[in-house]
Amino acid sequence: MASPSANPPAVERAPIVQLTPIVQLTDVHLTLASTAGPVNILRGIDLSVQPGERIGIVGPSGSGKSTLLAVLAGLERVSKGQVVVAGGDLNALNEDRLALWRRSRVGIVFQSFHLIPTMTALENVAVPLELAGANDAIARARAALAQVGLAKRETHYPAQLSGGEQQRVALARAVAPRPALLLADEPTGNLDGSTGHAIIDLMFGEAAKLNSTLILITHDENLAALCDRVVRIEDGRIKSIEQRPARPQAAD
Amino acid sequence: MLSLRFSLRELRGGLRGFRLFVACLGLGVAVIAGIGTLSAAIITGLERDGRSLLGGDLEFRLTHRGTTPEEQAFLARQGSVSYSVQMRAMAHALRSDERTLVELKAVDGGYPLYGSVELEQPGTLDALLETRNGLPGAAVDPQSLIRLDAAVGDRIGIGEAQFEIRGVIAREPDRATEGLTLGPRVMIAADALEATKLVQPGTLAYWHYRVKLRPELTAAQVQDAAQKELPTAGWRIRDWKEGSPGVRRFLDRAALFLVLVGLTALLIGGVGVANAVHAHLDGKTPTIATLKSLGATTGLIFRVYLWQTLLLAAFGIIIGLVVGTAIPNLAAGALADILPLPLVAGIYWQPLALAAAYGLLVALAFTIWPLARAADIRPAALFRDLVAPGRSLPRPVYVIATLLLFAALAALAIFGADERRFATAFVGSAIVAFVLFRLIAALVARVARHIRPRNVRLKLAFASLHRPGAATAALLLSLGVSLTLLVAIALVESNLHAQVEDRLPDEAPAFFFVDIQPGQMDDFRATVLASPGARDLETVPNMRGRIAKVKGVPSEQVEVTPEQRWVLQGDRGLTYARDLPAGSSLLAGSWWPRDYNGPPLISIEEKAAQGLGVGIGDRLTVNVLGRDIEAEIASIRRLDWSSFGINFVLVFSPGLLERAPHTFLATVKAGPAAELALFRSVTQRFPGISVVRMKDVLSELNAIVLKLGAAVRGAAGITLIAGLIVLAGALAAEHRRRLKEGAILKALGATRRDIIAAHVIEYGTVGLVGATLAFGLGWLAAWAMVTLMMGATFYFAPGIAAATALGGVAATLLLGLAGAWQALAAKPAPLLRTT
Repeated sequence: MASPSANPPAVERAPIVQLTPIVQLTDVHLTLASTAGPVNILRGIDLSVQPGERIGIVGPSGSGKSTLLAVLAGLERVSKGQVVVAGGDLNALNEDRLALWRRSRVGIVFQSFHLIPTMTALENVAVPLELAGANDAIARARAALAQVGLAKRETHYPAQLSGGEQQRVALARAVAPRPALLLADEPTGNLDGSTGHAIIDLMFGEAAKLNSTLILITHDENLAALCDRVVRIEDGRIKSIEQRPARPQAAD
Repeated sequence: MLSLRFSLRELRGGLRGFRLFVACLGLGVAVIAGIGTLSAAIITGLERDGRSLLGGDLEFRLTHRGTTPEEQAFLARQGSVSYSVQMRAMAHALRSDERTLVELKAVDGGYPLYGSVELEQPGTLDALLETRNGLPGAAVDPQSLIRLDAAVGDRIGIGEAQFEIRGVIAREPDRATEGLTLGPRVMIAADALEATKLVQPGTLAYWHYRVKLRPELTAAQVQDAAQKELPTAGWRIRDWKEGSPGVRRFLDRAALFLVLVGLTALLIGGVGVANAVHAHLDGKTPTIATLKSLGATTGLIFRVYLWQTLLLAAFGIIIGLVVGTAIPNLAAGALADILPLPLVAGIYWQPLALAAAYGLLVALAFTIWPLARAADIRPAALFRDLVAPGRSLPRPVYVIATLLLFAALAALAIFGADERRFATAFVGSAIVAFVLFRLIAALVARVARHIRPRNVRLKLAFASLHRPGAATAALLLSLGVSLTLLVAIALVESNLHAQVEDRLPDEAPAFFFVDIQPGQMDDFRATVLASPGARDLETVPNMRGRIAKVKGVPSEQVEVTPEQRWVLQGDRGLTYARDLPAGSSLLAGSWWPRDYNGPPLISIEEKAAQGLGVGIGDRLTVNVLGRDIEAEIASIRRLDWSSFGINFVLVFSPGLLERAPHTFLATVKAGPAAELALFRSVTQRFPGISVVRMKDVLSELNAIVLKLGAAVRGAAGITLIAGLIVLAGALAAEHRRRLKEGAILKALGATRRDIIAAHVIEYGTVGLVGATLAFGLGWLAAWAMVTLMMGATFYFAPGIAAATALGGVAATLLLGLAGAWQALAAKPAPLLRTT
């Protein structure tokens, strides 16, 4: 597979100093009950992520990548271990508190977009802002939509948009509340090559502009290579963490 | 309101999935609103026409006698008075020589004080009834002409006088308030009554005095004055506002029953509502999970979809209210012809509000649960490889809310009804039926899971019965409850018919003879027994009286159970006897000796005693012929009312009543061949004795039962429609699954036969289980109604019950085959490609 057609944004970054980490996972275990008995999905994950960092998480199917992302988003509760994300101790929050916490701190981009079919592109983007009680939700959603190049598609419903456009709406929705943490689960998995690249460029660009931390799940090594660190997961454990000191300038 | 905004956006997806939701609610609400509107229209009509229905502002009714001079003077002081005498008599058409029992009404010149008599001939009633050439006139209703084979201008004999038929009555203003009539109307002038010689001491005749009050007097004042000045007159006084308590009571009861049937339809519809909401929310899982991942709380999600439910419920309720108001109003014209009652068309808010309240409560009671479960959807469901079982029960607050809503429904049904006992029994049975069918559904699913047949078709069918989201519960509930009601109603109706008809030939007398004078008794007996085929002649003294006081308390102030209120209303038949009457058995106390001649004693019927709250040794005061007679209760009897013998609630000891003027009642048995001769010989010889032919009374009763039965079956039919809508909804919800399943099965080599057989087995099982249970429950409910509420012997008609239940199985099977047809019609390739 070719490397991305465009470079990740070349924003000057200060060398990473030890700040309060935005993600701090300590010995995280997660066991789910299934009809065939309990399944250990995460088996002791320790991970610390600094604000503004870009993390690529790679691993084979069933290794626990998506579960880890769900844990980070506060969508899945761990069986054991500590989860501190964006200033919140997630184990200590109940379901509704988690929802409130999520509103302003976390943006998620899904592999299959998950736009709400009965809402227009603009309304989809506005939802998290409305949930957070923003008075200017529509205006900000409009700006976010323009940012991803879909200003003319505001009144279209998801079914009237192409896959790439849908994912751009989803991205606008994720970044519109200016989250500290942007999570992406195989964001290009349902898109063709060039459309995928465009989305990746946009996502990295938005994360950089907002100075958000980006955690990206992918099985695409080239995509992972764009990040500051690559975390490899196998069988519910971290197998390795590679630091990428230099920003890769992919040859085109 | 964020939740409202979101739910409105959500509704853009269209209402397709909600058509059944709206239909289920709308149907039930329409039934309740329609019945309420109809009954309100009739009650308003009764009130509007109250004066002409009663014939005056106040009516004083005396039995066996006219007023004394004091009473007449009292009435005259209150305003203008008009009177009529009503009794049953035999009319004899001289030209055709036909004789028939008629309801005779002799009216004075002032009749009617309110409203007017409509005649098919020109001229006033007074003019028609006057005596011309020595012959007084009569006005009759069309039925009299048919029965007598007579025409206007013919002569008829009544008692010992002759009349000329001069007019046909099209409408009589005060007719509707009279109860069961045994014959057609013949109206004559009051002055002409004496010549008939029908009115003798003890004759069963009623004197109605209608008063148009002087403007300064109120009905209440006059009633009080009557009570003070003439306490022992023994008259029944009615105010025009309560002009027809009998009609109203009947109306209230019928409306209560029909509203409860409508409520059942609504509850069955509730199952459909819950299913529709459940299916809708199933499709919304990704949306709900997405909203939650964006920071929506469980409470917000619940409110978003609660708003939707409320908006749709409002839509369904409004449709129901519109239909429920429109139908009785549009049909008002036709109904006015069928019902001999005035009907004021219009919009009545009270029944509409009640129907809307029922609709809203049902919509909420059945949707809180699925809404709460949907709100509990975990957002982690969005990540593809996470499948974890969710909560099985909603949070406690929602469970409590659901229970409270059902409690509110039950309370509304019970406390909104006058007859709480009946409403409570109905609500209780509904709860039992719903719970039982739900449990049985769970049992069927459990059994289906554990049976692992080898046969592929059986395996497929059983798998469908228990897989998650199977419609088994909805099918069994909707089918079962509606079938139970239908079986119960079919059985109660067949019981009513059986009581009236089937048992007649061997037990019931052919004729009742009324108003036999004591001096005629020997002659009468000889005449009857001389007629070939006449046997088992029974005679009994008869007079009418009112219970004036119970244990010294005036009867207006006595607390009576609603079922026994009739005992105190109007007058009752009284008799005296030396021996315990046949068909009675002594429950308590002792029967007086044959030669008893002491102070008057009473034997009272069991249920009346219970209703009045009296026992042995208590005293009752009965007003007979304007005299209060106080007597002690000496015994309590149980009667077999269905024996068609002569039964009396109150039997006196001989002595006092024996010396009062009275007439005799008689019954006689005769085979069909002997009836005509007996009728002729008695009516020719005794023109003053009224002859009631049992078969005529029964056919009259049967016609009423038939009409009622049709109304009740119609209402119950609506529950079946509700059930079918729910069934169809459950089937529609499964449409996609069936298409896919059919495609896969065909791809795997299943034949059409396999697929049809699997569907037949699946639905046949549900249908059979539901019908069997409905058969049993319906039987039980009918038995309880007939024996416990009506106090009659239960007669089981398994054929009718089984036919009803089997009809239910057939309906389910048909729906199942519709499902199979869907599965077969699908072409497998495209369905498999897109999956």
